[in-house]
Amino acid sequence: MVKKKQNPLTIDYRKCLIENRLQQVRNTTFADHPDLVNVWTVDIDPRDSHSLINFIKDIQADEPVSFQHIKRIRKNSHSGLTAIICSHEMLQTEEDFLRLLKDAEFEYENTSGRFQVPRLGPSTKELSSEWSEKYWPLVWRGNPNDQILNDYVFDMGLIKRILQRISELTAAQHEKDPLITPAVSAFVNPLNKRVIYTVDGRHQGSPLDHSIMLGIKEVARQEQQRRDCGTEDPTQSDDPDTYLCLDFDVYTSHEPCSMCAMALIHSRIKRCIFLKSMACTGCLTPASGDGYCMHNNRNLNSSYEVFQWTGNEFIVPHIDPHTCC
Amino acid sequence: MSLEVFEAHMRTAIKLARYALDHEETPVACIFVHSPSNKIVAYGMNDTNKSLTGIAHAEFMGISQIQQKFGVHNTEIFSEIILYVTVEPCIMCASALKQLGIKRVVFGCSNDRFGGNGSILSIHQDTCTTPSNNYNIVPGILRREAIMLLRYFYVRENENAPKPRAKSNRKLDVENFPPMNWSKYINREQFLEYFDEDNLRHYDDMTDLSRDVEWGLIDSCQDDILERLEQDCESFELHRVKKLKTDVI
Repeated sequence: MVKKKQNPLTIDYRKCLIENRLQQVRNTTFADHPDLVNVWTVDIDPRDSHSLINFIKDIQADEPVSFQHIKRIRKNSHSGLTAIICSHEMLQTEEDFLRLLKDAEFEYENTSGRFQVPRLGPSTKELSSEWSEKYWPLVWRGNPNDQILNDYVFDMGLIKRILQRISELTAAQHEKDPLITPAVSAFVNPLNKRVIYTVDGRHQGSPLDHSIMLGIKEVARQEQQRRDCGTEDPTQSDDPDTYLCLDFDVYTSHEPCSMCAMALIHSRIKRCIFLKSMACTGCLTPASGDGYCMHNNRNLNSSYEVFQWTGNEFIVPHIDPHTCC
Repeated sequence: MSLEVFEAHMRTAIKLARYALDHEETPVACIFVHSPSNKIVAYGMNDTNKSLTGIAHAEFMGISQIQQKFGVHNTEIFSEIILYVTVEPCIMCASALKQLGIKRVVFGCSNDRFGGNGSILSIHQDTCTTPSNNYNIVPGILRREAIMLLRYFYVRENENAPKPRAKSNRKLDVENFPPMNWSKYINREQFLEYFDEDNLRHYDDMTDLSRDVEWGLIDSCQDDILERLEQDCESFELHRVKKLKTDVI
């Protein structure tokens, strides 16, 4: 995590634009609607707050929800304190919660409080005060998306090289036969930075052979081969196992359809960068298709980062907007 | 189509899911039925472990069997095919089935994390996924059996986990089932199209079509199911070839 001023990348926080080229794609419709998480709380005596904080520190590793934007302890109406112990996502039943509290070295009561807190802070200070009143006291540390933008890491040189290659491959496909869907994807393994390029295969194969589906299968095929018989390339022989496409960066010429956008969720990728949006069939940008924002959908408990390259350096052929890519 | 037909085919899918459970896979399985002849043409089980991908879902195995049999570019055949799957297809599979033009999807229990036929998204009725191929769905067939198989799997998985988590250290629940929210998937008119009026109370009460669980189906070893399905699929092919020959004469 670097300070905003020390970040070597140029970031336009208002436009969510990086290096004047990479547009962050996210579902802004709900950014200022709180996504509420149920929490388990206890009432304690103020003198026990130190003991309570130590208790929370010990269980923090198992907590899937971040409470950094939230005040852990608040005053309650009977001059005591109410503290958040953990989320319902960490412990689902009150029975489990009470079992956890058996190890507590402080006195507590009122374990059945029904509090909800926003999973992420809002984008403005005004909303932060409003939510603090309504749900639970929050800490205002600026628009949380600014920090998210600031924390992203980009290798602009690598990104440009891959997008250039994708652009060339789409042109070659188009030249070969204008009936071929000229979509191309690249899968970058984070363990060794090896790049696998795949081209749309539906002119020869199945109507489902979109470049992303073929890329996912090719990653698995190469991994299987590596496990079965090792590899002739000595630089790869000591590679750790690749699990699905965990933490891969995926580049693609055209915005993915519902099948491919979801296949990337199942494959556990880290990031997708695409060149051309698909007005009717695209499933990542809020303006495309049915506005699914598949990578950033609250109802799916998994997500990936998405950016669209906004410069016009890398040209890709036009594909009918009703075609799924 | 009647409830009896739905259940008869779903029983086969449930047996195959039981087979998957006994062979170290997620207990999710499907069969593809050629609607005009009411014959099984393909089947599928999850293969995410062996395939090293997160996308080798049961539906894709069946799709590739159909493509091998009828030709990879033949999408017309899908307009005559009904899928029976124990768990609601995920968004990816719901989309794949739509792009191919499947006639209908019949499923057992909902897929609360990834469901693409109503639970999370309704791909089968959307506008961004080949809208000319919108298809109908029939939810809730042998739902309790499908849920129980998933419970068996999670209990077993927890037993195998190196460090079982406290929260999942719970006993197998064989009595309680979550309410069935029919309206999330189909409206009353559609419900009446598939089930008779006596069943309409289930729609309003959010209950299952049957309270009874066919324990025999999910508690017995189904190791012969694969061979039987292979035979069924093969015999369909023969049937088709014969028919083609007579057409020529």
